[in-house]
Amino acid sequence: MEEIVLRELVRLNAHLPKRRVSLKEALEKPVVELADGGTHQFRRSELELLKSLLPEEDWDSLKIPILIEMDPKLGRGAGRIRGKLECRVVAKVLGKQEREELVLYLPELAELRGKLQTTTEYLFTA
Amino acid sequence: MKCKIAAVGDLETITGFGLAGVTHLHLHRERAETLEKIKALLSDPEVGLILLTARVKEELSEELGELLKFKGPLPMVLTIPDKEGYYPPAVDELERLVRRTAGVEVVLG
Amino acid sequence: MTKAVATISPTRMELIRLRRRIELAQKGHDLLEQKMDALMMEFLGLARRIRVKRKEAFGKLLEAHRKLLRCMAWMGTAETIQASLETARELELEVSSRSIMGVRVPMVEEVRARRKPTERGYSLHTGSALLDEAALQFEETLSALCGLAEMEEAVRRIGRELERTRRRVNALEYVLLPRLKSMVAFIAFRLDEMERDNFARLKRIKAMLEGREWRK
Repeated sequence: MEEIVLRELVRLNAHLPKRRVSLKEALEKPVVELADGGTHQFRRSELELLKSLLPEEDWDSLKIPILIEMDPKLGRGAGRIRGKLECRVVAKVLGKQEREELVLYLPELAELRGKLQTTTEYLFTA
Repeated sequence: MKCKIAAVGDLETITGFGLAGVTHLHLHRERAETLEKIKALLSDPEVGLILLTARVKEELSEELGELLKFKGPLPMVLTIPDKEGYYPPAVDELERLVRRTAGVEVVLG
Repeated sequence: MTKAVATISPTRMELIRLRRRIELAQKGHDLLEQKMDALMMEFLGLARRIRVKRKEAFGKLLEAHRKLLRCMAWMGTAETIQASLETARELELEVSSRSIMGVRVPMVEEVRARRKPTERGYSLHTGSALLDEAALQFEETLSALCGLAEMEEAVRRIGRELERTRRRVNALEYVLLPRLKSMVAFIAFRLDEMERDNFARLKRIKAMLEGREWRK
């Protein structure tokens, strides 16, 4: 049974892209390759939304997909957002106060995922 | 990837979607015939979406259940009501899925 | 249960090993539980959005049927069917793949279903205004239905992944971890017992030695 669990854990973050791309890159080519070999397409409408939330000079600094870190230490149903630009964008989307680091709880996570379905993704950390 | 759409059901349904540009149209008459057509559509790499009326889904529910369970992400299969709006709860997978997965206590808006 | 217990050796090494396994299993459980929570959230969000989208799309569909019926009444059913068959029916969807925590899900980008009457391809008949209206409404409906199909496909797949993950979490919580913990308890008990036996033995030996010394 433990091998099954280990296998699950190994693939726990295999859905993440091999390399995140900047908003600028994504606007040109809205696809990324995932660690498990698959591809992930960004929705145009979401890229447009992200564009509207940041000045042009920041477009090549914002990395997408924006990662939502699920850390058991934060408790169940909580996720963390890191990165100045990432936090700014998320705060704007949710209508929250901007911070260096954001910890979001269930209802906010649900809202964020609803609005940025293809440009956010979960990251599981121990 | 570009792909085509298919519609399976009664006359009004396929006529209407035909006017909208849907490529594959199948008028449902006989069970066996329609089942074969659906199987063919499911394995056609050019077909991305199959629109199926609830009445057909209900009539072929047994065989369809198996086919749909083991199909891949494409083509997508969507059950739709017909001109009378027929869409019985038996055909609504979503309800059953939510109850089974999330439990009856979950109430959605 | 007793079979498994009989095969483990009650050594301190084994105890350490088991404790490490428990730690890993617990960590694995917590991580998978996080994944399960995230999947559940996605699932419920999608279910909610599907209900809303269904009302919209099915509403449009019903309206389209109404317009079609009107057209058939005016033009004749056979003529309407004829027009439908004459239509250029090569509508294409742009489908790509996206991933939700590793679950591959199809995504449909903007469907350019709406066409101008001249683009549709059927020859102009009397009452073609009604035909155009019906065609347009069905085109509108198609756009909405594509969005709905995407979501229904996604909710189905996420539901499956959710169930798989839940089974793993439960297997850890209700089978593996309790088993490991009871093995630890067993070993701890046996080690304790052996230590007490040892202690009693040492005491006797000591008493014997002291007894001999005394007799000397």
